[in-house]
Amino acid sequence: MKNLNKIFFSALFFFFLNFIHSEEINRGLEIALKADDSFSGYGDSKTNLKMMLKDRKGLVTERVMEMKLLEVPEDGDKSLIVFDSPRDVRGVAVLSHAHKVGSDEQWLYLPALKRVKRVASKNRTGPFLGSEFSLEDLSFQEVEKYSYEYLRDENIDGKESHVIKRIPLDPYSGYTKQIVWISKSNSLIHQIHHFDRKSFHVKTQTFSGYKKYLNKFWRPGEIHMINHQTNKTTTLFFQDMAFNTGLSDKDFTQNSLKRSK
Amino acid sequence: MVSSFYRDTTKAFLVISLIFISSSLFSKVEKYGEVSFENRTFSEKGLFGQDKDHSSFTLSPEFYFESEDQKTSFTFKPKIRRDSLDDERNLFDIQDLSLIKVKNSYEIRIGIRRDFWGVTETVHRVDIINQTDQVESFDGEDKLGQPMINLSLERDWGVLDIYALLGFRERTFAGEKGRLRAPFLIDTNSAMYESSAENLRTDFAFRWSQSYRDLELALSHFSGTSREPEFINKSISLKIPYYGVIEQTGLEALYIVGGLALKLEAISRSGQGDRFSAATAGFEYTQVGILSSRLDLGWIMEFNYDDRYQESPLALGTRLTFNDMYDSQILSGVMRNEETGETNVFVEASRRVRNCCRLSFESIYFNGGNNSNSIQKMFEYLKQDDFVRFEFIYYLGN
Repeated sequence: MKNLNKIFFSALFFFFLNFIHSEEINRGLEIALKADDSFSGYGDSKTNLKMMLKDRKGLVTERVMEMKLLEVPEDGDKSLIVFDSPRDVRGVAVLSHAHKVGSDEQWLYLPALKRVKRVASKNRTGPFLGSEFSLEDLSFQEVEKYSYEYLRDENIDGKESHVIKRIPLDPYSGYTKQIVWISKSNSLIHQIHHFDRKSFHVKTQTFSGYKKYLNKFWRPGEIHMINHQTNKTTTLFFQDMAFNTGLSDKDFTQNSLKRSK
Repeated sequence: MVSSFYRDTTKAFLVISLIFISSSLFSKVEKYGEVSFENRTFSEKGLFGQDKDHSSFTLSPEFYFESEDQKTSFTFKPKIRRDSLDDERNLFDIQDLSLIKVKNSYEIRIGIRRDFWGVTETVHRVDIINQTDQVESFDGEDKLGQPMINLSLERDWGVLDIYALLGFRERTFAGEKGRLRAPFLIDTNSAMYESSAENLRTDFAFRWSQSYRDLELALSHFSGTSREPEFINKSISLKIPYYGVIEQTGLEALYIVGGLALKLEAISRSGQGDRFSAATAGFEYTQVGILSSRLDLGWIMEFNYDDRYQESPLALGTRLTFNDMYDSQILSGVMRNEETGETNVFVEASRRVRNCCRLSFESIYFNGGNNSNSIQKMFEYLKQDDFVRFEFIYYLGN
């Protein structure tokens, strides 16, 4: 009986907690949906990516790849990344089919063996090509993949911003939460703090050089990631971004993965 | 006759390709490939007195042409290998000389190509399109180019690949002076065939594959000359490879549960003695960021089953990925056969050097197992062949 009481009161407590929270949750979601506006209806895109990795001592190395994206209505987007440099990974490619519900599908193409290998999408949280980005950071961040909460308004770097907290719903995410700064004027994300599985603030991601494409879709020119534990940084440069390039489902199949060069 | 067919097909494909290229159909031209130097040092002289040390040099440039609309592409990749010890390890092979044409609902691939089937890591049972270049490496993952016409249909119900395999490539075997060789010599110049067309037989194969979210499934059938020969005694120490005609049906399945990939490859083959079945099943699991570091640790475990033997080996492997700037990794494993008591252990480590190159180190240790003479051991003849191998690869390109 005592136990039952305890359960009842804690349920009541959480009910009220949720009630108080629901306003913040709704507002957080609203802001996230607005920020996502720039990402829905884009159809397809192609871009070259250059990654600059800098270690603690300032040693710099470069990675070059091509990325194709296809928007899938009612589901997660499809992406194909083909590496060009360093030379030993040239031709290696990653195909992903993201899903709004459930885990994503992912295949790796190994050109030396002519082999397509299905990989568990859980393994997306580690460093990608030795950089400070994980595949999770690089993949499309569907609104449905997080729960949200509005925190506060704040002025950082001269930008009036909404600050929201988002919690990944994917149990295999590498993060427990992310704090996101979204500019009030144009609803663009300009900073994310990533908190790892132990809730440490491990990485800070900043977005800059936003450009508007087709009069509607904003895309950053540069994304910078700093790892606070190692002091290593990676900067991602988006080059020759193009929309409406005529890509279709056929360009995101296992057969097209085998052809990617 | 044996090699002239291969030479003629190659020539024919070359001529056709030159026509295509000269017609300036291709707007994009890329050149890459690799040059590598390798040295193997063995712990002892061979069982037949072979040298302890040998080196080899391999050149395999690759030329890739693509049309403006990316619907037509052409690849040419020869491979040349020279070995300091074993003439049978010298090689000239056309790995790729092929044209790919992509249409709306199908894709056609004509020429000399390589294609891989399968899901497992340690043993590749289903993979049968290409002949194995056995002398290249111990893992048997290196293949010879196969002339073919391959039609690939990609539909809602999956991908259906239909192959006409034009002619046959013989397996490579280490020569008299070579290391890692069988206790008898193999006369590759007088190979025999079940088919009266010998190595000119046109073989057929198909493979259907489909992805269902967390499940990957494939069914295949091969009808033709076996890539795996049997041996006929010419004398006590000299044998002739005999390539029979087989029918082989294969099944591949891979199921993802969280971070775990469960794998199965099974075959049923008839034509070489009694019909038999064999399978490899296992899993692959990766621990991301072990001990709060950047390092990933992958686990591979695979069990084998083969109708023809009492016991089949069990393989256990780990892959340590450093996730550093140099893409450093260490792969290690054990293969153990309970019946013969044999164990072999391997370690393979590699890292990138600058932007252009890769350095790798490999070591294999063979343990002979129990002394019972009643059981035929798999690696008996390799007991003096423990080795360390270094390889330096320079990748060509811009």
